[in-house]
Amino acid sequence: MSTANLYRGSLTTIIMQLLEREGRMYGYEITQKVREVTNDSLQIKEGALYPALHKLQAQGYLTVEAEKVNNRIRKYYKLTESGEKETVNMLEDLKQYIQDMQLVINPKLSY
Amino acid sequence: MEINAQQIEQLYAFTRKHYVEHYDLQTELVDHLALGIERQWQEHPERSFDEALQREFKKFGVFGFTEIVDQRQKALSKKYMKFIWQHMKEYLTLPKCVFTLSITAALYYLIQILNLRSLPVLTVMALLFVVYFVWSAIRVYQARKKRESKEEKTWMLEEMIRNQGNTVGAVWLPFHFIQIFIHIDDGNMADWNPYFLAAICFVFVLMCLALYVMTVEIPKHAETYLRQEYPEYDIA
Repeated sequence: MSTANLYRGSLTTIIMQLLEREGRMYGYEITQKVREVTNDSLQIKEGALYPALHKLQAQGYLTVEAEKVNNRIRKYYKLTESGEKETVNMLEDLKQYIQDMQLVINPKLSY
Repeated sequence: MEINAQQIEQLYAFTRKHYVEHYDLQTELVDHLALGIERQWQEHPERSFDEALQREFKKFGVFGFTEIVDQRQKALSKKYMKFIWQHMKEYLTLPKCVFTLSITAALYYLIQILNLRSLPVLTVMALLFVVYFVWSAIRVYQARKKRESKEEKTWMLEEMIRNQGNTVGAVWLPFHFIQIFIHIDDGNMADWNPYFLAAICFVFVLMCLALYVMTVEIPKHAETYLRQEYPEYDIA
């Protein structure tokens, strides 16, 4: 199974965690940053990134800022207060999931 | 090497050609494509603009921008429904709920006093919504024509607000069919079960209020909603 399938379910968590760390980011920057920190092993598809960003914005977890850069408009996303709280919850869930998976992969057998 | 103003226009045209009709989404995609092309030029300065654009577009997958447009529409529809609910809540809580209940009671007693038969009353009620639905459909058609003429920038949320949610109008249609079942018994409405009659009156009042919210209140606050959603609204 390709690792892309494993990452797909965590896309929202990855985006929110990045925004928590970086402050504000634009779409293209997010795709590049993810590639950079994972040494190219994780590539966010543009076709999945924007729907995820727009959904998070509609849910009130992200807010948008716009700036004129060179000869075009750039939209920056950043976490709202409720987005920050949700990121903490999501990371907790992800950690729990990793722990559970480790138990499944390396079960401690007891007699 | 940087993308110039003329190439930016070409990118806007490219997004329109690929069925991105609204300026808000076009702007975001144009910046994304421009950044991708500029990045390619850093490593391959010999690449033409068109070649670099095609390479960048491929990254969006076989469906291109379609999924992004669909999901954006869904996200904004949910947001629009939230606007309706926020305004409707006011009419269901104090002090405005007094008005809602008074109108419902007035309608209830009016039907009783006037001794009306169910057929004309329900037909008028249903007709009101059918007329609204047709009017709404015409507005959606006009908006599409305007968008196609490309004379001005259209914003997805603005269009939803001006056209009362585009498809939201369709939810009123079942009312027409409900009345077909009810008016089989074309008796005097005053003889109906009072709870049933009261419920019909209440639902009718709620639907009228929802229409009022969609056609008057939300458009009145359109500027505020648009500025919240689109920080680029003023600089575009």
